[in-house]
Amino acid sequence: MLSAIIKRNGTSVPFDSAKILNAVNRANKAVNAEEMSPTDLLFVTEKVCKRLEAENLRHVEEIQDVVEDVLIKYGYAQTAKAYILYRAEHAKIREAETYLMDIYKKLTWSPAQEEDIKRENANIDGDTAMGTMLKYGSEGSKFFIDNHILPKDISAAHSNGDIHIHDKDFYMLTETCCQIDLIRLFKNGFFTGHGYLREPNAIESYSALACIAIQANQNEMHGGQSVPNFDFALAPGVRKTFVKEYHSAFADYIQVKTECSPGEALALERKIYSAVGPEMDMGARAEYAAGPECALDPDLLPLARKAHAHARDQALRRTDRRTYQAMEAFIHNLNTMNSRAGAQVPFSSVNYGTDTSPEGRMVVKNLLLATQAGLGRGETSIFPVQIFKVKAGVSFNPGDPNHDLFKLAMETSARRLFPNFSFLDAPFNLQYYRPGDYNTEVAYMGCRTRVIGNVHDRSREITCGRGNLSFTSVNLPRLGLEAGGDIRKFHALLDERVDLVFRQLLHRFKIQSSKKVRNYPFLMGEGIWLDSDSLGWDDAIEEVLKHGTLTLGFIGLAETLKALVGAHHGESAAAQELGLEIVGRMRERADAEARKTGLNFSLIATPAEGLSGRFAALDRKKYGLVPGVTDRPYYTNSFHVPVYFPINAFRKIKLEAPYHALTNAGHITYVELDGDPSKNLEAFEAVIRCMYEQGVGYGSVNHPLDRDPVCGYVGVINEVCPRCGRREGEGVSPETLKTLRGKYADVPPWK
Amino acid sequence: MLLDTEKNSLKTRLSPRLIGEGTKFERTRRITGYLVGTLERFNNAKRAEERDRVKHGV
Repeated sequence: MLSAIIKRNGTSVPFDSAKILNAVNRANKAVNAEEMSPTDLLFVTEKVCKRLEAENLRHVEEIQDVVEDVLIKYGYAQTAKAYILYRAEHAKIREAETYLMDIYKKLTWSPAQEEDIKRENANIDGDTAMGTMLKYGSEGSKFFIDNHILPKDISAAHSNGDIHIHDKDFYMLTETCCQIDLIRLFKNGFFTGHGYLREPNAIESYSALACIAIQANQNEMHGGQSVPNFDFALAPGVRKTFVKEYHSAFADYIQVKTECSPGEALALERKIYSAVGPEMDMGARAEYAAGPECALDPDLLPLARKAHAHARDQALRRTDRRTYQAMEAFIHNLNTMNSRAGAQVPFSSVNYGTDTSPEGRMVVKNLLLATQAGLGRGETSIFPVQIFKVKAGVSFNPGDPNHDLFKLAMETSARRLFPNFSFLDAPFNLQYYRPGDYNTEVAYMGCRTRVIGNVHDRSREITCGRGNLSFTSVNLPRLGLEAGGDIRKFHALLDERVDLVFRQLLHRFKIQSSKKVRNYPFLMGEGIWLDSDSLGWDDAIEEVLKHGTLTLGFIGLAETLKALVGAHHGESAAAQELGLEIVGRMRERADAEARKTGLNFSLIATPAEGLSGRFAALDRKKYGLVPGVTDRPYYTNSFHVPVYFPINAFRKIKLEAPYHALTNAGHITYVELDGDPSKNLEAFEAVIRCMYEQGVGYGSVNHPLDRDPVCGYVGVINEVCPRCGRREGEGVSPETLKTLRGKYADVPPWK
Repeated sequence: MLLDTEKNSLKTRLSPRLIGEGTKFERTRRITGYLVGTLERFNNAKRAEERDRVKHGV
C-alpha cells in the first residue's frame, strides 16, 4: 500500500484511498447512467491502488491518469468522461489562480513604468500603496466575476476579445455615472454618509460643498461625476454673498457718515432697508428706492441713496473677488482631494454657459479665469473636465447675452485645453431643449457620455439625476477581419455580437437592480438619482435605475473599414458610406431593443482607454499583421478618422459629425492644432464654429500643452524651453531665474 | 570621508549650483475626453497613439 503521495506543489501528504473513491463517486453521480454501487466503487478504488503500487506511481497527476484508465477498462466510459471533465475544469481554475497570483506579484513588485497593467487608467497612480490596493481588489474581483458570475459564453467572449465588458471589476457593485443636480441637493442641506451639512450660505461654502458632493458620489459609482448646471447651481451662492456684502457695506457707510455706533448703524440700515420692499440682488437696483413702494422718511433719502451707491459698488467688487477665490478653491480641491482611499482624485466634470443671470455669469467668468491661471505653480488643472454649452441666442453669436463668456471660454481652452464645447443646437440635442429649463439642456460627462432620451418614461427626458448604468463594447475590427470583405457576412456577425452584448447588459442590469438604497447612502439615500427619494432604505433600486442607460459601444471603425473595403472613411467616400451604415445599424439595434424592453438601450462611441491596446494585441496574435488593421499597437477610437491620417480640420469635423447623431449615448470629436492656439484664436474659433455648423454634439481642440516646472513656462516646448533656455534635465542658474522672476509672475519658487 | 567633503566643496566652488537639474518637462495631453498631467501615466497603446497623432491644418 502507498504511504504518501506527492501533490502538485511538490509537498508530500499521507495517501488516503477514500479520496479516490469519493472522486469516482462524484463523477459517476454526474452522469445519468452506469450507476455504481458501493461495492463497484470499492472495486474500482482497489484496482487503482493496486496499479499505483505495482508501477510505483505517487504523483497526483499520475494517480488521476490511472483512475481514468481503470474506469475505461472496466466499462465505465461515461463516468470516465465526467471524471476527465472534472479534472479539466479544476486544472483551469488552478491555472487561473496561478494567473491571478502572477498578476498580484507584478502589482506588488514592478514599478508602473514597467507594467502596463498599472497604467490601465492614467489618472490612478499605480505606484502608490492605495493605487496598488485598488488593483488587488480590481484584479481579484475580475477573476471572481469571470469564474463564478458570468455565463460561460459571455465570459469567454470577453476574455478572447470579441467584446469588452467595461469596469467588469464593479460588476456586482455599482453603476457608471450621474449628473448631479446641486440645486436640489443643497436645499435644506444633506448627509454625505458620514456627516450632515447645512444649506450653504456663501459662495465659498457652495464651492466647497460642490466638491464634497462630487467626492461622496464618486465613492458610490465606478465612473465619473458631473454637475450639469454649474452656473445655475452656484449662482445662489453668489447672490447670498452679494446680499451680505451689500448690507455690511451699507451699515459701514452709515456708521462712518453719521459717526454713530456699529449697533446704531445696523439698526438704521435695517430701518432704511425694510422700507424698500423686496430683497436686494445683483442685477436689480441701480438706484435706491426709485420705485413708488418706498416708504422711507424723506429726510433719510439722500443718505440712503449715497449709502446704496457705495454699498452696491463695494459689494460687487468684493463678491467678484470672493467668487474668484471660491472658483480657484474649487479647481484646487478637485485636483487634490482624495477619492477611492486616496488612489485618485474624483473624476469630475462641470457643464455651464447658459445661465444669463449676473450671478451665474460671475461664476463662469471667474471659473474660466481661475482655469487660465492654473494651479499652485501655474500647472494646468486636470479636473474638473469643463464643458461650455454653446447655444445660439444665448452664447454663440455676437450680441447674445453670454457671447463674452463663449469668447473667454475659447481663449481659456486655447491656453489650457479646457473647456470642451457642447452644442445644444445639434438637432439631436435641440429636440429636448426648452428655453429657461436647464434640465432639458444636454450635459455631457467629461469623457463623452450623454444621457437625455428616456424610453422608460417619456415625460422625464431630462438631464439631472440620471446616468449610464453600464456599457460593453464590440470589437468591430475583428468582425471586419472575420468577414473578409463580405459585407453581408459582416452584418450577420455584427448582429450576433450585438445580441450577445444585449444579453450581457441585461444580466448585469438584473444584478444592479437587486441592490438596495442602503447600498448607496448618498446616491440613492440623498435622492441624487432620479426618483430615488421615493424609495425606503431597504427598497430595491430597480425602478429608479430604469431611468439610466444600458449601452452598446464600439471601437476601431477605421480599422474595420480597412479590413472590409481596404480604405477608411478619411480615404474614401464609399468607406464613409459603409461606416455610417454600420454605426447606423448598431443604433437601429439599440433602438429596437429599447422599444422591446422599455429600457434605455443606446449606442456610445466608446472612450476606450485600456481597451485601445487590448483588442489590437489580441487580434494581432490571432490574425497576424494586417496592414491598416493590426499593424499599430492600438485601435482607433470609436468613429474617429485615424490619428495618423493627415487631414484638414474642417474635413475631419465634416466626416465625423454624422456619427454624433447616431451615437445617442455619447461621442466626441477632436481636432489637433499645431503650435500655440492662444496666439491664433481666430483659427480656434473657426474650428469650434465649424463643429457647430456641422452638427457635432461635443468637441474639443487638442494642442501641445507643455510646462517647464523649473521656470514655470506654459506652452509648446520642443527641445529647448523658450523662456529659460534649458533642455530637458538641464539646470538653470539662480541668476537666470532671478531675472525671469522680475519679468514673469508665474516663475515658481525654488529652495 | 575628509577627502570626499573636500572634493564636493571644490566641485561646488568650481561650478555654481544649478536649479532644476534632472527635472523633466511636463506634457499634458487629452485622453478619452479627460486630461492627463503627464504622458508617463499613459498606457503603452495610448502612448503609441499619442506619438502617431498628426496636426490638422485649418
